[in-house]
Amino acid sequence: MSGTAVGPGTVSALQAALAAEHAAVYGYGVAGAYLDGPARTAATADWYAHQVARDTLEAMLRQAGAKPVAAAPAYQLPHKVNGPVSATALAVLLENRVTAAYLGVVAVSDLAVRQFGARAMAAAAGRAASWRGRTVAFPGFPPSAFS
Amino acid sequence: MADRTRRGVLAAAASLPLLAVSGCKGVGALAPPPRPGPDVRVLRAAIAAEEAMIARYGTAITRFPGLAKTLAGLRAEHRLHLAELRTRLVIPPGSPYRSGFTSPSPRPAGSPGAAAALPAGQAAALDFLQTAEDSAAAALLRGLPSVPPSLAQLLASVAASESTHVAVLRSAAG
Repeated sequence: MSGTAVGPGTVSALQAALAAEHAAVYGYGVAGAYLDGPARTAATADWYAHQVARDTLEAMLRQAGAKPVAAAPAYQLPHKVNGPVSATALAVLLENRVTAAYLGVVAVSDLAVRQFGARAMAAAAGRAASWRGRTVAFPGFPPSAFS
Repeated sequence: MADRTRRGVLAAAASLPLLAVSGCKGVGALAPPPRPGPDVRVLRAAIAAEEAMIARYGTAITRFPGLAKTLAGLRAEHRLHLAELRTRLVIPPGSPYRSGFTSPSPRPAGSPGAAAALPAGQAAALDFLQTAEDSAAAALLRGLPSVPPSLAQLLASVAASESTHVAVLRSAAG
């Protein structure tokens, strides 16, 4: 990907994915604190995965000549997290949002970025399914999209 | 809205030969009808792949009742994939490109062809299904450059779903 070949739509989609990754890094920091054992281990692994994804997106954006969007100092959680159940629900929600953000990346015209988005979608969908305990037919889309 | 527009375009592209035939003097005056575009070919392949997966799961569910609940859940998602993919492609009756890629229903579970595609033992069958899911997802991703954005999103989502199936099958295999 070069700075001259990337359009504003691609940059915008990558920025949205980066914002979702920032939120996921923050959110897993919260969720992990309420998990133990294998769930804690999984949360830590996913936390690292999101950090790697964040760094990758930042590099892609810089290469495209764009300034990567910064993480917020703090994020408002979608629900109160005070134990394993709510922490697991938060992990599912974070992964759903990341998957949806990469769905936007898949729609860009840059074909290499499109492939990157699809692979990232699959990774996030896998993590979401693991936390959720079941798979879904259309990761990234809202449940009502095809009903 | 974008999806609806795109569906219209795909349908229009597929019907071009018919329109040309009906609006001109005769078939003999026409050049050969244009072949389906790359996006149509990607859709055809995706539809065929879903039909094959549904047939394989049908066979597996019949053979391994202990795994029926897990496998039926995955098959249900493939049926949703197939239904949505079919809505993206409308081939008019009589089109020279209609036959051979949109069978009216999946091959019946347990039919000789479907059974031949699945190894006999449970462990081998689960391994086979994992490989098939992985291959199907990879094929969908290979098609992404050839399709418009809204279809790319659907294919990527289906591929992601099929990737998650691999983990479920691996877990079922123990």
